[in-house]
Amino acid sequence: MARFNDLNGKTPPARVAVVATGVISPLGCGLDETLASLRSNKDCVSPVTQFDVQKCRCKTAGQVPDDRLPPNRNSRKTARVHRATRMIVAALEELFKQDPEFKPELTVIGTTSGGMSFGQDYYRALHRHRGLRHSPRWIANYLPQKPVIDAQSAFQISAPCQIIANACASGTNAIGHAFECVRSGKYQRVLTGGYDAISELVFVGFDSLQASTPEKCRPFDHNRSGMVLGEGAAIFALEDLESARKRGARLLGEIVGYGISTDNHHLTQPDPSGSGPRRAMEQALRSANRSAEDVDYINAHGTATTFNDAAEGKAIAELFGGVPISSTKSMMGHSLGAAGAIEAIVCLLALQTQFLPPNINFRSADQGLDLNIVANESRDAKIDIVLSNSFGFGGTNASILIQKLAA
Amino acid sequence: MSLRIAGMGWVTPLGRGINPVWSRLLRGDEGGVTPISDAISDKTYSAFRVPAEALKDLPPHPRLRRASAISRFAAAAGIDALAEARSAVGDIDTDRMALIFAVSNGGVVYTKRFYHNVVETGAQSASPLLFPETVFNAPASHLAAILGITGASYTLVGDGAVGVLAMKMASDLLDNDTVDSCLVVAAEEADWLLCDAYHKWRLLKSEPPIELFHQPPRGMILSEGGGAVLLARQGEVQIDTIDAGANFSKRDAASEIVGRILHGLADEEACIVASANGTFVDLAEQKAIERELPGGLVYSFKPALGESVGAAALWQVIAGAQALRTGRLPKMPHLAQDPGLNFPTGDEISCSKAIILSCGLNQQAAGLRLRIDL
Repeated sequence: MARFNDLNGKTPPARVAVVATGVISPLGCGLDETLASLRSNKDCVSPVTQFDVQKCRCKTAGQVPDDRLPPNRNSRKTARVHRATRMIVAALEELFKQDPEFKPELTVIGTTSGGMSFGQDYYRALHRHRGLRHSPRWIANYLPQKPVIDAQSAFQISAPCQIIANACASGTNAIGHAFECVRSGKYQRVLTGGYDAISELVFVGFDSLQASTPEKCRPFDHNRSGMVLGEGAAIFALEDLESARKRGARLLGEIVGYGISTDNHHLTQPDPSGSGPRRAMEQALRSANRSAEDVDYINAHGTATTFNDAAEGKAIAELFGGVPISSTKSMMGHSLGAAGAIEAIVCLLALQTQFLPPNINFRSADQGLDLNIVANESRDAKIDIVLSNSFGFGGTNASILIQKLAA
Repeated sequence: MSLRIAGMGWVTPLGRGINPVWSRLLRGDEGGVTPISDAISDKTYSAFRVPAEALKDLPPHPRLRRASAISRFAAAAGIDALAEARSAVGDIDTDRMALIFAVSNGGVVYTKRFYHNVVETGAQSASPLLFPETVFNAPASHLAAILGITGASYTLVGDGAVGVLAMKMASDLLDNDTVDSCLVVAAEEADWLLCDAYHKWRLLKSEPPIELFHQPPRGMILSEGGGAVLLARQGEVQIDTIDAGANFSKRDAASEIVGRILHGLADEEACIVASANGTFVDLAEQKAIERELPGGLVYSFKPALGESVGAAALWQVIAGAQALRTGRLPKMPHLAQDPGLNFPTGDEISCSKAIILSCGLNQQAAGLRLRIDL
């Protein structure tokens, strides 16, 4: 395949380093627990405890236990802020421990549903005509920018927040846009990532579409039957590499490419040809000036729904041949707006510790998909460049390329 | 290279179309306010609604068959902006056009209906047809399909300032070699549930008029509609500068943030299209204007069009661009108190720049400045 090269004599764009990260997800609280879960092929999906799922087909999700969430850091009572805020705070605490000096000029965060459960609380109180005294708090804290602003203010940050709600691609879109902001030279430091807390409305919605499964989540398996939902938050500190080196920041990895495309086939189903994902992946390669042969591992969107895996698998097989792939949603569920960000953390950990994360619950290959699945067990591998995919409702497709960076 | 407005579209309670809506504002017309109720409560509110005839010539696209009002408003505004751009600056390649959709409350009508079924009868009665329409980016997806946009598409969520943040994102995207133009769209739909929520949040009044700069503030009335601005390299009105602003932690702190934004945008040749809406926002803007640009001409269309939240800042951009294009600003109705600011008289103005000041209801504030070569 031809190597993309379209600089046309222009000044090379800035290189974009990841200088700090933080994560909380069903895989664990923090990078160490996340890595341990990935290496031990842990299934972190469990029965739903946040709300009643008796009348749903699916009864499991990847969840962050409430007792792992930090208390509110400022004067307001913990109960007043949304769970999502506390997830972002947990991720930011880890990030600022690594780099207390990081001062973002802009924050770009992905989510799908913000503080949705507060909206539900308000509607249920309205419906039963009582318990509305809390409604001003629920309403003021329901909107998607609020958990981010609250979490930022806990760290005395007031950077403007761009909250991207591109459904399940939100997290990757946020990182991709933040990457482009730094790469353009207009910004030196951008905080980015994604968050989502599980909510009844969204859970029931996916259940109604029969997109979620009553069984195990088996991405790319011949007998896959759907996704399970998840939740969490993952935040990245991106910085112009030169500036990061000058101030002696730790260099955890480098974002080198980003692709975004829109698939107009259907609101909830991808074009079966895989053209939407393919365009996003090709654009990510082009923007990184890399070829498909350079990619050592792909963290797939891999929701385990019939149509998504077929379209993504087709595009990957056509473009990348036998590159190892896995969907780590098999281990932690699909955390929607946080998924792309958490999976980017998975990619960073894979690059740093040189292993391929597993696609668990895998039993038999789909004969229609010619893919090299990292089945059931993580394994050591020499990897330098990885691709992370996220595709969402509305036809939003996003891919980012991350490369290992010597300290 | 300069960033310019190549085309605009506007769907409001005063009808559809840039020039028709602007003419009606200049005439002193106000949008229709209608009572809004819901079976869940006896309480009735008022909201500015888009007249049905405003959407009567939308194309019969399959994506609009089941779409909610918010998607229809966005489609109409987006189609109009693209049409105006094509007639003003020539062909626009939608393969190289990005879409940014700004929203605050989103598709609340279908979301409420979906969740109502769940609350009323349980998860087994949840509708798989309604659920996809509840997702924030559903209207953007429909618009992309209608216009044939296959590249970058982003839905940005925030408070009333989200339109300015979307403009900022557009200006960043246009640095990318893969994008020639960017369609920024913002839309909201009114619903009883929103009225009740903003009422409980103590920001809403039950009946018109919206009285700006009144102390204590008397409240706002919600509105609906859409706006679209196509940004490209050609066009009459230029985006001079954009300040993505900051977040205020308490309402009292809003005026400091707004003042800081205005300090960076202030220009003696500029008028100000403010976000004042009858709430705490008015005093925040008043203090900032008194400090940073005393004597500056201040206009807000909220008494005539209502508070459209996520669509409001983009409507301000449209109003600012129209003020520069036509050299006129409408009079401000319902000023029960004199706050000491300089308001338009309805006569011609001599501004070559317009400052868009946007202070949201939920902690975000941002601003931008437009200019025109006179």
